[in-house]
Amino acid sequence: MITIENLTKYYGKNRAVNDISFTINDNEILGFLGPNGAGKSTTMNMITGYLPMSAGKVTINGIDISADPVKAKKDIGYLPEIPPLYPEMKVKEYLSFCAGLKRIPFGEKRRDEIDRVMELLSITDVKGKLIRNLSKGYKQRVGFAQALLGDPKFLILDEPTVGLDPNQVIEVRNIIRDLKKNHSVIFSSHILSEVSEVCDRVVIINKGDIRAIDTIENLESSLSTGLVLNIKVKGEKSTAASIIELTKGVKEMLDITDEGSGIFSFSVQLDGDADTIRGEIMAELLRNNVNILEIYTERPNLESVFIELINRPVQKHSLQELLDEMGGEAADEDDTTDDTKEEN
Amino acid sequence: MFPIYKKELQSFFYTPFAYTITALFLLLFTYMISTKVADLESNIAIFSYTEVFYNVIIYFIFLIPLLTMRTFSDERKFGTEVLLMTSPVSVLKIVLGKFFANVTVFLFMIAGTVIFPYITSQYGNVVESQLICAYIGFFFWGTMFICVGMLISSMTESSIIAAVIGELIMFAFLFLDDFSRTGFISQYPKLQSVLMAFAAQPRFAYFSAGLIRLSDIVFFVSAIIVLLSWTYISIEKRRWKRG
Repeated sequence: MITIENLTKYYGKNRAVNDISFTINDNEILGFLGPNGAGKSTTMNMITGYLPMSAGKVTINGIDISADPVKAKKDIGYLPEIPPLYPEMKVKEYLSFCAGLKRIPFGEKRRDEIDRVMELLSITDVKGKLIRNLSKGYKQRVGFAQALLGDPKFLILDEPTVGLDPNQVIEVRNIIRDLKKNHSVIFSSHILSEVSEVCDRVVIINKGDIRAIDTIENLESSLSTGLVLNIKVKGEKSTAASIIELTKGVKEMLDITDEGSGIFSFSVQLDGDADTIRGEIMAELLRNNVNILEIYTERPNLESVFIELINRPVQKHSLQELLDEMGGEAADEDDTTDDTKEEN
Repeated sequence: MFPIYKKELQSFFYTPFAYTITALFLLLFTYMISTKVADLESNIAIFSYTEVFYNVIIYFIFLIPLLTMRTFSDERKFGTEVLLMTSPVSVLKIVLGKFFANVTVFLFMIAGTVIFPYITSQYGNVVESQLICAYIGFFFWGTMFICVGMLISSMTESSIIAAVIGELIMFAFLFLDDFSRTGFISQYPKLQSVLMAFAAQPRFAYFSAGLIRLSDIVFFVSAIIVLLSWTYISIEKRRWKRG
């Protein structure tokens, strides 16, 4: 388990990371989400012991990274934003050097370990090539292979899929998912779909502040402004509109489009149980001889949650304030508050 | 420490770097010897290897910074510093690994010069004890310059700047004793004695004269230790200063 307590980082007078706390549990993939310049890389650099923190504490399996860096770093595999590669080295040479740094004993064991990571990231075919001649995707994977050497318990990956082609992205995601069996992974990205696909929990940060820590499902439901119902009908426009508008639970008519030949599309925002409202609307429309061609509800996706979260003005300066606020806001979302409070 | 040492040596010897710099050094060394030999025609000339060494150390000002300029600045430039700093290796071991690698290349450079006294000994006499002393002095002098170069390299991201500033500092080091003997400095005997205490060249002169004095060894060894400690501090300080 990695525990991050009140981590703060100042660059001169600029505060890059502001008093953030969270934990990474065993066998968990934690997404670290934020726009560029949010403090993701700085935080990761502090967790891995590259940058010293201005305040706060990071413990890796109970070992304080500032107090005993060498011991703490043994359990960490780190892939920084720019893969740390020596351009004049060959891939195998480089991995062998990294294995040495991680104190993997020389000889057969080291060879096997290098073969294993090369196999895993399918870079075996370039093992004799100079790193400077590799494409960006290969470089990224060589950097990833380096992080996996020695099978460290915690993997910290800073945007691991940047520069990969779509096939490779899927491969790398699958690798990360497989890693979950024996590892904990912190995975930063600004690509939302990626995070929602792979991660168990997400930490959303912006401008050095944590905006949310939760599972993706909880975030979606706790911060959504309600579901959106889309209905396509054939019939009288005004009748349909008034029926939909007047049904209990419909909060707001968002949009009406005329699709020609007497077909109209409505989208409305719901406030309440979607199934009941949908049933009522359907029944009422049929009773008035309006044909329903299409009806479906739309969940607000992570993207909108993300944008809402990062754009929300923040006055809070401690996690407690944030939790209090979230507790108040999502009082009906019991899981949300429980989950985040546990972390504190 | 060993993986870093090995990696550094690979980067010197798997590329033409170590061979080129050694060839250049030997060329300059040979040039110095051949002019001395040519001078023997005149009556007043005396040929001695120690004198050759004494003259050759000025070339170190240009060669050693070439050797050391990339030590830390390239790690920073390519982002590989992160790899070293997040590995379970202490900063001290990183510094020492790189230091020993540089010293190894330096030894490789000066090893080639042994051939000249060897040839001479086949046809005449070489005062071996004095020659060994000169080599010891040579080694200390070069190692001290390596430490200066490493310190400068740890302060900048650009290897060119590291080389140029290293050259300036080594130049100042070399002429510190000449400077402290100038009329201007002689007016202030206390300042002069302080400057003289830091002057390394007279201490090298003792070695090349065939004298091993404890005070000179202590001077060079402590200079090396102090400069390496500063390198260590400079790396740590940079990490802290970023925040």
